[in-house]
Amino acid sequence: MSDRQAPQPNMNTVIRRRILALVAILILLGFGSVVYSLVDLQIIEYEDYKVKAANQQLKDTVIPANRGVIYDANMKVLAQSATVWTVAVAPSEIDEEDRAGIAAGLSEILGVDEQSVLDKLAKTKSSYQTIKLKVEKPVADAVRQFAIEGKGGKGYKGISLSQDSKRYYPYGNFAATVLGFTGTDNNGLSGLEAYYDDVLSGTPGRQVSAQTATGGDMGYEYDSFYAPQDGNSLVLTIDEVIQHYAEKELDRAVQDYNALARGVVIVMDVHTGGILAMATKGDYDPNNPFTIYDEAKRAEVEAVADDPATEDVDEHKQALLEAQQTQWRNKAVSDLYEPGSVFKLITASAALDSGSSTLNDSFNCTGSIKVAGTTMRCAHTEGHGAENFSQALVNSCNPAFIQIGTKMGAGTFFNYFNAFGLTRKTGIDLPGEAQSQFYTAEGLGPVQLASCSFGQSNKITPIQMITAVATIANGGDLVQPHLVSKVLDAGGNLVEDLEPEAKRQVISEETAKTICSIMQEASGRAAVKGYRVGGKSGTSQKLDSGDPEARISSFVGIAPCDDPQIAVLVILDEPQNKVLGEVFGGYLAAPVVGQIMSQALPYLGVEKIYTAEEAAEADVTVPNVTGQEVANAQVTLTRDKGLSVDVKGSGSTVVRQFPSSGTLPRGGTVTLYTEEGLADEMVTVPEVTGRDMASVEKALAAAGLNLRKDGSTGSSSVIATTQDLAAGTQVPLGTVVTVSFHDPSVSAD
Amino acid sequence: MHSRKKQQKKPRDDKQRSAVDAPFLIIVLILVVFGLIMLFSASYATALYRFGDSFHFIKDQVLFAVVGVTAMFIASRVDYHIFHRLAWPLMAVSLLLLLVVLFMPALNNAHRWIQIPGFGTLQPSEIAKFAIIVLFAHIISINYAKMKTFSYGVVPFMVVLVPVIVLMILEPHLSGTILIVAIGGIMMFVGGTGLKWFGLGGGLVAGGITAAVLAFPDLVPYAMTRVEMWQNPYLDIQGKGHQTVQSLLAIGSGGVMGLGLGNSRQKHLYVPEPQNDFIFSIICEELGFVGAMVVILLFVLLLVRGAVVALNAKDKFGAMLVVGIIAQVTVQAVLNIAVVTNTIPNTGISLPFFSYGGTSLMMLLGEMGIVLSVSRQGRSPKT
Repeated sequence: MSDRQAPQPNMNTVIRRRILALVAILILLGFGSVVYSLVDLQIIEYEDYKVKAANQQLKDTVIPANRGVIYDANMKVLAQSATVWTVAVAPSEIDEEDRAGIAAGLSEILGVDEQSVLDKLAKTKSSYQTIKLKVEKPVADAVRQFAIEGKGGKGYKGISLSQDSKRYYPYGNFAATVLGFTGTDNNGLSGLEAYYDDVLSGTPGRQVSAQTATGGDMGYEYDSFYAPQDGNSLVLTIDEVIQHYAEKELDRAVQDYNALARGVVIVMDVHTGGILAMATKGDYDPNNPFTIYDEAKRAEVEAVADDPATEDVDEHKQALLEAQQTQWRNKAVSDLYEPGSVFKLITASAALDSGSSTLNDSFNCTGSIKVAGTTMRCAHTEGHGAENFSQALVNSCNPAFIQIGTKMGAGTFFNYFNAFGLTRKTGIDLPGEAQSQFYTAEGLGPVQLASCSFGQSNKITPIQMITAVATIANGGDLVQPHLVSKVLDAGGNLVEDLEPEAKRQVISEETAKTICSIMQEASGRAAVKGYRVGGKSGTSQKLDSGDPEARISSFVGIAPCDDPQIAVLVILDEPQNKVLGEVFGGYLAAPVVGQIMSQALPYLGVEKIYTAEEAAEADVTVPNVTGQEVANAQVTLTRDKGLSVDVKGSGSTVVRQFPSSGTLPRGGTVTLYTEEGLADEMVTVPEVTGRDMASVEKALAAAGLNLRKDGSTGSSSVIATTQDLAAGTQVPLGTVVTVSFHDPSVSAD
Repeated sequence: MHSRKKQQKKPRDDKQRSAVDAPFLIIVLILVVFGLIMLFSASYATALYRFGDSFHFIKDQVLFAVVGVTAMFIASRVDYHIFHRLAWPLMAVSLLLLLVVLFMPALNNAHRWIQIPGFGTLQPSEIAKFAIIVLFAHIISINYAKMKTFSYGVVPFMVVLVPVIVLMILEPHLSGTILIVAIGGIMMFVGGTGLKWFGLGGGLVAGGITAAVLAFPDLVPYAMTRVEMWQNPYLDIQGKGHQTVQSLLAIGSGGVMGLGLGNSRQKHLYVPEPQNDFIFSIICEELGFVGAMVVILLFVLLLVRGAVVALNAKDKFGAMLVVGIIAQVTVQAVLNIAVVTNTIPNTGISLPFFSYGGTSLMMLLGEMGIVLSVSRQGRSPKT
């Protein structure tokens, strides 16, 4: 071979030169150009690439914060969030042959359409497809087990469960318009849930994690975790027990009298302005707020949907939305109404406080009065005749109040109207409070002033009305109505005390006390024996309604009148009383207030105080005397307890007694059976409604029944309005019949 | 190394070294170790996601490296002059294999691999590259005096190169073809082929492309899309531009200092097959511009030290063998980095010492052994 030669110190200079040239070319051209590219990519455009890369690599997962709890005043849970799960799939990680199995399994566990799951699984470029939201724990566990053990124990890839939360309202449609509800993303949409959304919702946490190109997690070392901060909890002034009484009674009245535009009740602590109960009926269940609960409305909405003439789908949506918004609406703060005669309390307070009227002023009602050429009529068309200031309020006499208003003048009237907080929103902690509509001093001509004096023309909200009445009840201070008393953190520690201060003194304590005592005379069908209930009825025309017969019948009550603790306002909007034909607030709303008072006052620990007359008829406990000698039993019952005795049979010992326990009104009769085998004597309950008290007493005594008097019993002119046992009922001898009386001289208007 | 001691005791020639070139050996070993570390880092995520075993790729590669380094030491002890005798037989085997591979089942629409049961796969183009280097070195060492002429400086090379190129285009294996043409061209250039023939060759290539465009106008849109994708890979991020875009994101987001060894995010299924052709983008992402420069510097040092070995080779055959081998490594490294940085359009060229692949690593280390063998017989370099 030719090159097997001695080493060449000077190897072919061409090769030497060309090797050096090659090295230079490769370094300068080859490596040079790639270094140039790298400088451009890694140094000059670094920021740009960093952002682009991060955009595809990082997955920002929001970790929901637990929404705070809503408690009633006694820490009973009214609204609470529980953990639920979102079931999702990652089609990009799922093998094609697994799709059918996953779709079948998930559709069976979750009750979703199998085809829809298959469609989602077919989106193979996607790494996240939601299958079902808000799945509860047992179902989520079943999904988890399916993902681990499905496919004959091998398990399926690409099924994920992530935490979410769902709002629960344990009492169902309870205080619904007050509590409100939350949407699918757990934000408050209505009521306190909306008003206090920021407080309740907390701060969601974040998990920023690196994800692989197919959407899987890269590994823990890439994660940064920001813990969620749970929402704060609210403690309400609402008392679940009182709320329950108020809702029960209102619901019954709204149904009994078919209040077309629904009804409202508010119970307020008159000293603090705290709302003890607030409800609108009919309402809804905040657990499922989108369902229409009013059957007639639901049928109406469905009719729109089914109507073949409905070409536009929007029409159905519109109808549904309107029906939903109606049932969500809190009438207590969002609806304006003309308070009618209830407002006379304000006019009367203003007149006495300003000194424009005194209790000694006298009026003569002829059934109507002429104001600047316009004739205005009294509800009592034949006229009240001569009456003083107090009687004018009890009679709810329009002509008298027109005179009182005229005497005070527009300026004074408006000043008090303003001072009672009726020109401004109360600022209660609820969304959607309506702004009142009213005449200013300049706008109040003689006719307007006359009309406003008895509660027409000016429109206010129910919450404004009861707040003004609370001012009278508490001695003259305008309080701040509110629902939330405390904010607690997730650990239950106090964050903020929200008890507000009273706003201002509106009327003197003396004026307030005077009005309260007149109210006690006007309690009418709201009276509760022993509790000194005061009140005022109202029946207002709905002047803006298409139906000229449309009325709002309302009643406000306070108790006990010597030291008022609570105020109760009941409003029935467009009631239809087919039986009586009358829709006076004193007829329809007053008994509701009375029923609420009779349950709430004992609960609140208000002591019963009886008048001498009431005390004589106060209930006594019936002692058990069976087994005793008849003579001894008689002594025990008559001398110690003030009861009467009716002995049946000729034995010497008592073998049975009726009633055997419980209470009887003082002076009631206990029947003692002295022989074995004697059956209870049965008697027939007589009809007593409409009769005066003496007649009722006589009729029941004749039947051998015990009478328990309820309602107004103070005056001799009272008449019976209701009896708890229907006439004709067969009951044992000595059964107690409760009869409600009312004073017909108190106006029901 | 007892052998080294033995040889030092009995120097055959005071001007001739009996030991291998230590700097070259050190550079090679650094590249091997660095390559294994980066392969593990780049591949474990894909290995885990695809095979459920983080060590899937690195296990094989470590084994191949051990075998390869052994082969390198053996080769360094073998007198490279035996390749004079092996030059033609090697080329004959290569051509045979290149022919056989065309009848092998296609993978990804190309017939590039021969399945050998119990051994794995064999890529005939890898063998052909080496055969070309050996044969060209052989021819140049014979013809060196007349290399300027067409009949000695061009014709014999073309006689060998053209069949190889044709067979490789039939596979088709474009990147391999480019590499072989580059290596052949460089060896002819260094060997002394007249520069005018390169001018003529360039002209012929240009003419050939024009003829091809005229003969197969269907290829034009295909070529145009390739160029378009090169100019703006973002046109089709989900499709053809995907690999390039993900590679650029990896390199760019590495910045100057990188995310740290092992911390690449792009290797998590974004960059396709980060253990193969795109391993350099993962290096850039993890070690930053600094790390990329270290890798490039290692290749430059390998080139420079290889050139030093060539310049001090005992004879032209040794020098040309070294030139061919270092030309192959350098061109392959430059083309690979140019592809991943989108400096040139995307073709499949792996990064020597770093990319996954047993045959190629063992061949490479064997070739390094030949360089060492040449250095053993050469003069002690001045530097």
